[in-house]
Formats: sequence, structure tokens, C-alpha cells
Amino acid sequence: MNGVALDRVFRAASGRIIAALAARFRDLARAEDAFSESCLRAVRTWPAAGVPDDPAAWLYRVAERLMLDSLRRDRKQQPVAEETSLDPSPEDLVTDDARIIPDERLRLIFICCHPAVAAEARAALTLKLVCGLSVTEIARAFLLQEATLAQRLVRAKRKIADAGVPFELPSPDAWPERLDAVLSTLEIAYARAHEDAAGSGAHAGFSAEVLHLTKILTHLIPDDAAVTALAAQVRYAEARRPARLDADGFIVPLSAQDPALWRRDLIDDANRLLADAIRIAPSEPRTLQAQLQQVWCARQSLADPAPWPEVLRLYDRLLLTRDDPIVRINRAVAVAEIEGVDAALIELSRLESAGLEEFLPYHAVRADLLRRTGRHANASQAYARALQLDPPAAERRWLERKLAELTSILN
Amino acid sequence: MKYALLIYENEAFYGTEKAGPKIEEIVGKHMVFAQELGARRIGGAGLKSTAATTTVRTAGNRKTVHDGPFAEAREQLGGFYLIDVANLDEAIELAKKVPVLQDGAIEIRPLLGE
Repeated sequence: MNGVALDRVFRAASGRIIAALAARFRDLARAEDAFSESCLRAVRTWPAAGVPDDPAAWLYRVAERLMLDSLRRDRKQQPVAEETSLDPSPEDLVTDDARIIPDERLRLIFICCHPAVAAEARAALTLKLVCGLSVTEIARAFLLQEATLAQRLVRAKRKIADAGVPFELPSPDAWPERLDAVLSTLEIAYARAHEDAAGSGAHAGFSAEVLHLTKILTHLIPDDAAVTALAAQVRYAEARRPARLDADGFIVPLSAQDPALWRRDLIDDANRLLADAIRIAPSEPRTLQAQLQQVWCARQSLADPAPWPEVLRLYDRLLLTRDDPIVRINRAVAVAEIEGVDAALIELSRLESAGLEEFLPYHAVRADLLRRTGRHANASQAYARALQLDPPAAERRWLERKLAELTSILN
Repeated sequence: MKYALLIYENEAFYGTEKAGPKIEEIVGKHMVFAQELGARRIGGAGLKSTAATTTVRTAGNRKTVHDGPFAEAREQLGGFYLIDVANLDEAIELAKKVPVLQDGAIEIRPLLGE
């Protein structure tokens, strides 16, 4: 097994093993250390002794013993035990690892996303502990300095230990509040991956991890509409990734994307999840948001009419439970197609929110609408404002092209 | 684990003397809450207003005595509970039940040595 293959084994096992150890011994940092140490031992012993049949079970047993030793040393209640054998017993090696390693990942997710943990650290901590991403990878995804992120993670782990964040699952009556923090965390994590339309290198694995985590959640909490709807949502979004850039690296608007390029496997998967969410809670905001994705992904080719009427109907329903500027801006795009550009501009002008001036989608949508009504000077200003707000690379290029086209008309 | 629940409210609401119907109302609620806490309550007190506060400040090796609280703020520490519960979630549940008559905040601080 080469280094890359070993790394894959470690990463696949890490969430389950760290979660199981942390839940049992109530110590995140020590569980993480024990797992790292067991990986180091694997790197040292496997090349010569051969890779065990069930590498995860081997890693778990070794980490478990390291953790016990470390706890024993710290407590100093007993004299330090004679060197315990760290090699798993023969029975360990023939047993199915799913039976050896209890699945405590849901608990770990709830711990990482506890409201007492700083909001900006939750997603990073979850990706680190539950998905086994490295600090370098997470720092790249969140556009942070490694040192800053590492410090944030240390602080979050210390807070969990010092403040007495429980290692039990919250009681069911506390779920609505707590589950929402978990889902928002995953949503933010995915949005980070999705912003980068090219999905070049750094984010490729990152979005895969969010797909994986949402899948785990649907297995662990099968009867929650918000959970299944979010899992569907990220799958629809990810399915369209191959069509999001044109050959020149410009972002392609959803309505102009070629459905033939979309990933059917992910769309099928998402359709199944969405059907569950609709059955459980059809009016839940996340269900409606997933449906908004679904009506687009139902398109088989660019010859099919764009589903604007359905999109507008869904936004109208969404407004009943989630009325915020983001929903209204997206709805305005559909209004422009159904009722006309002027009606959409009137909708936008009704928006009032302190953060709007700094909100990129607001200016991008407004610029496009103004351009279409022929108000080219105003549109130019709006494009310029959008460009000041630090758009991701592919979107920047697209906005720059639009602005350049207008400038040539105006001159 | 042991925690302090620190109660912050705008004390002006209760008047400088901390007497009168509003105080009677909130004290009554605290008595009910203390009863609900039962054995989980290991200490606590309401505090007189910041007008009655004196601060001893240490700067270098010098200790100086001042009138008033050490920092001016919109909300002031008005009282506290010391509780002994299993974990932060239980402390949060109790903090949500601490009676307040206006906007304010309950700070949950684990005690040292836990």
C-alpha cells in the first residue's frame, strides 16, 4: 500500500474512530491524538507486517489502547502499567469493524456544532474531526491562514472541554434548535465549496465530504425533512458542476446550462431524497429550496422550456415561511421572466436591508435587469459595484465581460 | 459541573433603591426559580445597585479605591446563581429559565477547578 492509499484508509476511518473514542472517553483532543499516533504506527508496521484485513479495526484497537494508556498515565492513580501489547488480538482482526467501532459520528457532529462553539469554528471542526480533512485543506477552503484556523480549532476544542459541552445526543425536544445549527454548518461548508465553480483542486474533495456528511445524517436521522432536503439540495447543486463553466472558464447561468452535462447519478439520488422530504414536510423551507433545484434538474435538454413559472410559484410558497432579502432577490429573477424586467426591478427597489449595499448577488441581479431594460449607464454602475465585492474568479470574469460589453455600447 | 449564572439587566429599570413593585415581582419569581433549582442550587445572591458599588483597583503595586463598578456598561451584573449540574446543556436550560423582566443576558461561566 503506497502513501496515497494509506492516506485514503486513514481518512475513511478517522471520523468513526475519533467519534467512538471521544464519545467513550469524553475527550476530543486526546481522541484525536490517539488516532494520529495509531496512524503513525500503521505507517511503521504495515509495510513489513502486511496490511491487516480490516485496517479500520486495527487502527481503532491501537488508538483505544493508546488512549487508555494515556489516561492511566495522567491519572497516576495506578503505577504506570507495564508496556501493554498494542497489537490487536487475532479475534479483533477477524471481526467486522462495524461491530467493533460503535458509530458515534452523529454525536460528534452535534458536539462540533454546539451553539456554545464559535459559529465560525463549527464547520471547520466538523470537517476536521468527522471527515478527517487536514488543517491545510480546510484553511484553503475557507480562505484562512493555516495558523489562524489551527488556533480557532484549538480554541473550539478547549471551549468544548472547559465549558462542559455534553457528549450525549441532545434530547429530542432540543433537536429543532440544535439540528438547525448542524444543518446550517453543513450548508455553509457546501456553499464554500460551491462558490468556486471550477472546483479546481482544493474544493473538489471538500464538496465530496459535504455530500458524504449529509448522507451520513440521512442515515442517522431518516425522518427529518430538513435533513433529507439538505442532502438533496447539495446533490442537485453538485450535479450541475460539470456545466457551470464554459470552455473559456466563464460562469454559465443556470438557465443556459446544458442538462446533458449534468450528473444523472447525483440527480437520481437527490430525487429520491426529495421525495422523502416532500412526504414528511412539504412546506418546510429546506424542502421548497430543494424543489427549486429539482425543477431545474428535471430539464433534459436546452430545448425544454425553462421552468420559470414553477420556480416563481415555489418562491412564492417559500416567502410564506422564509421572507428574507436573499429569497426576494432570487424570486425577482423569476419575476423578470414571467412578469417582465420592469416588475422585477420594482420588486428589487422595495427591498430594504442594511447589508444589501455589500451583497454581491443583489448588485449582479440588478445590473442584469438594468441592462435588459436598456438603462446601460445604470447597469454599468451596478456591474462595477458587484465587481468591487470580491466575486469568485469565474463569476468575476463573467461580470467583467458584461461590463466591457456595456462600456463598448456606451462609448 | 459547577457553573455561575451571572444575570445582566439594565438596573435603571428597577430604580436605584431596588425597591418597589418591580423588585417585588422579580424577587417573587426568583424565589419560585430557586425552589425549582432545589439541590442544584449551591449558592447565589441578588446584588444591590452599582450606586452602592466600590472598586479596589490594582495598578502596578498600587491599590486604589474607587466609587462605582470597574466598567460602565449598558447592562449591569444584578445577581448570580451557583449551580451544580451534569453539563453545559443543563446549565443552558436553567439559564433560559432565570427570571428577567426586561431584555438582558445570563452569562454561564464554569467554575475553576472543574
